[in-house]
Formats: sequence, C-alpha cells, structure tokens
Amino acid sequence: MSDRVYEILFIADPNLGEPEVDALTEHIQGYAEKEGGRIQKVEKWGKKRLAYNIRKHQEGYYVLIVVEGKPSLVKEVERRIRVTDGVVKFITVRVDEELRKAEGRRAQRAKEEAKRKRPATPRPSPIEGEEVPL
Amino acid sequence: MSFGGGGGGGRGGRGGGRDAKGGGARGGQKDAGKRYFFRRRKVCKFCADKIDYVDYKDVKLLSAFVPERGKVLPRRMFGTCAEHQRKLTLAIKRARNIALLPFAAD
Repeated sequence: MSDRVYEILFIADPNLGEPEVDALTEHIQGYAEKEGGRIQKVEKWGKKRLAYNIRKHQEGYYVLIVVEGKPSLVKEVERRIRVTDGVVKFITVRVDEELRKAEGRRAQRAKEEAKRKRPATPRPSPIEGEEVPL
Repeated sequence: MSFGGGGGGGRGGRGGGRDAKGGGARGGQKDAGKRYFFRRRKVCKFCADKIDYVDYKDVKLLSAFVPERGKVLPRRMFGTCAEHQRKLTLAIKRARNIALLPFAAD
C-alpha cells in the first residue's frame, strides 16, 4: 500500500520558550521518522490565542508537521505525543485523499475551460432563411 | 329588440375578449409584485472561488461561515451547495478540536 499523507497539528505549552518548542518539534519529527515517515513540511505558526481554554491555557504555540508514511506511523506517533510533556493538544488528519480529489477536480476544470475556449463554437449564421422584404 | 340585443351580445363578446387580455396584463403586474419579494439567489462561495479543499486550518475562511457564538449555520444562510456545506462542516469540526474555532463562545 502506498504511503499516506498526514498533517499533525499540535499546540505546545505557551510557557515554553522558543528554543524549547523547536526542540519539541524536532522530537516529534524524530518519532515520525523513526516509524519510516518522510517529513514534507514543518510550519511554525507561533503563539496564538486559543478559541477556548485547554488545561487552563489561553494561548499556545501551534506547530504543523506534514508527514508521509504508513497508517501504523500515526498510531505510534500519537501514542508518543500523548506521553510527551509540553504538548497541550494535537490533531492528526489524513489529507492525501482529499487533496488528490481536489487536484483531480482542478484538472477537470482546467480541461473543460480549455475545451470551451478552443473550438470557438461555429455559430449558426444569423437568420439565413429570413429575408427582409423590400 | 332581439336583433339589437344580439348585436350588443356580439360586442359584449368582443369586449369580453379584451377584458380577458386586460386580466392577463393585470396578472403580469401581480407577477411583478411577487418578484418584489424574490431574493437574489445566493451562490456558493466555495464554487464561485473554486475552493476544492476546505481546509480546517484556514481560520480566516471558516470564521466567515461561523457566527460569534460558534455554531454551524444551515445552508440557507450562506447559500453553500450541499457538497461544500458537508466539507465546511467537517472543517469547522476539525478546527474546533484544535481550538482554532470555539465550540460555544461565552
């Protein structure tokens, strides 16, 4: 089975310093790589206000990791994240299928657009049978 | 007398015809009156902007479809098509999970 793409978005404790958050991110990347995952992207969103309080925190560092790997990777990485200090909350979302569908739809639309432009639909000549009486 | 009456009836008939046409015109006006209440059809924003993937991380986009209180509103409010409403709902739920959107604002 081909590998899947997952987005792991987690919120780090806001009381941690910037370097500590970086270290934490490296750790989690390490978990994923250990399970045979390939990191595609790491995005640090910085400190953001939470929409609601989580464990009495009002804000947190958001970090997004996009990783490609097997389903078993998620299980192990999630288990490890749960026992890691400093992670307030996390979510893992599988995105490859959705993105592929979106890509397909975009391609379809591009094709249709090209079709609409190219043949320049030969318009029926306006009112041939009808002759203006002199 | 009967002759005149017949003529009158004939004219009356023609008159009736004109009346019917008049009624038709009035009917048209009534339709125009109804159109007054007809609201412009809302177009699904996601279709219009060609957004194929509704991203739960895109708070700016999602918050446009979520009122202050944090509820998911019915389709009729924004005119989203069924397909995109489904995707939107899922995206909102994911965003809530990770505290990008509120479950219920106080």
